[in-house]
Amino acid sequence: MKNMANNKDKIICRCEDITEAEILAAIEQGAQTADEVKRLTRAGMGHCQGRTCRRLVNQALSRKLGQNPDEQRTVTQRSPLQPLSLRTLADS
Amino acid sequence: MDKKSDIIIIGGGIIGTAIGYHLAKAGYKVRLIEKGYLCSGSTGRCIGGIRQQFTSEGSIKLMLESVDHFRNMQAELGADVYWHSGGYLFLAHSPEKKQAFMDNIAVQRSCGLKDVRWVDAYEARQVAPGLDTEGLLGGAYCPSDGQAYPFAVVNGYAERIKSLGGIVNTFTEVNGLLQNGGRISGVRTSAGTEYHADIVINAAGPWAKDIGRLADIEVPVEPERHEALITEGVDYLNIPMLVDYRTDGGYFQQFRHNGQFIGCYSPVPNIPGHSTDSTYEFLHDMPKRMLKLVPALAPVKVIRQWAGSYENTPDGNPILDRTPLEGFYVVAGMCGHGFMLGPAIGRVAADFIKAGSRSAPIPEFSLERDYSHQEAMK
Repeated sequence: MKNMANNKDKIICRCEDITEAEILAAIEQGAQTADEVKRLTRAGMGHCQGRTCRRLVNQALSRKLGQNPDEQRTVTQRSPLQPLSLRTLADS
Repeated sequence: MDKKSDIIIIGGGIIGTAIGYHLAKAGYKVRLIEKGYLCSGSTGRCIGGIRQQFTSEGSIKLMLESVDHFRNMQAELGADVYWHSGGYLFLAHSPEKKQAFMDNIAVQRSCGLKDVRWVDAYEARQVAPGLDTEGLLGGAYCPSDGQAYPFAVVNGYAERIKSLGGIVNTFTEVNGLLQNGGRISGVRTSAGTEYHADIVINAAGPWAKDIGRLADIEVPVEPERHEALITEGVDYLNIPMLVDYRTDGGYFQQFRHNGQFIGCYSPVPNIPGHSTDSTYEFLHDMPKRMLKLVPALAPVKVIRQWAGSYENTPDGNPILDRTPLEGFYVVAGMCGHGFMLGPAIGRVAADFIKAGSRSAPIPEFSLERDYSHQEAMK
């Protein structure tokens, strides 16, 4: 298996295909928060709404900027909790 | 860091960054101050539609210019902003609406918007495949209207401001305006820092009134909550932005670049205030309204809902003017059209400031106008 440990091409956001390199580039451009990383890269804007990547994005911010993980905000969690079809929502 | 610049802009949305870009390009040293992150106010919450179909000459001509800016933006800013001319189709379900659209089309064409036209129900379905035409008389269709991605546009402008020598301060809140000898001389931030400039621009969108009041200047802009939702991406269906003005209607479009449908409606009655809370009512109603227009979207899944603020003026037109305090300008009150108007508003505001003119460049956007006339295509 390919060793992904130090691979900058490793995928952080699987829904939007955002790599670690893209997350780091956003931080280097000046992003200080998960909200900014999300808007610059689209990480967390796909199907799963950041279930996996929001932690990884915060880890990257913490590593690069020395942020205390206990004081970091994550992006706002928005409904619906899982994707629901227009029909399901209209009939609900 | 030098605390003196030529210009200070308050607000890091489309208006502030567009003005900042045009002024920085003209050689001014610009400092842009944003209380959150770029796009965290109104602009980042809009649905990205861009139309030239307005009813007043001023707005139509501005939008013709804005669309030109959007078309050239990738070359100008060196960043893809996902501009796509997918068109807008305004739907008429009553003879009164049809007549109003016909009248608007005549005005729009006389202002140079050549490709806007009336389409009957049959043709509406040709340009909007899948559109349910029951009760539809037709619509006002303009194929050169379009869409772009707000975050990419604002980020593109902000990066150009920086590369042209300007400064962008995010997470910095202005809570005081400095004056000296009867004119503005800078701003004070909540951290107690003072930044100096002879020209300060209030581009604070829904907070423009609060910024004006720091100098006892009344800016008649009121925030109003509008909710929105977005779906998963699906194959591009080549449907223009659909606008249904009925009280149970709404607006939605599909992004060309990733196939997501995005939409919103104007609540009746309106919901004043800064709240950006989401409601279950919207999450239920908006899909109903979308499926009424395009039933085939039934299986498409909604992945997210949110809300943002329109920043309304009493007459539905923006404010772009100097204020009674020398050196202090206001460019705000875009009434839900800031993203689309922004590129042209930025250019006009920059030229106005460069020229140092006394009177507002667009009389219907002056600060001290009579606010009783209404823009109809809100």
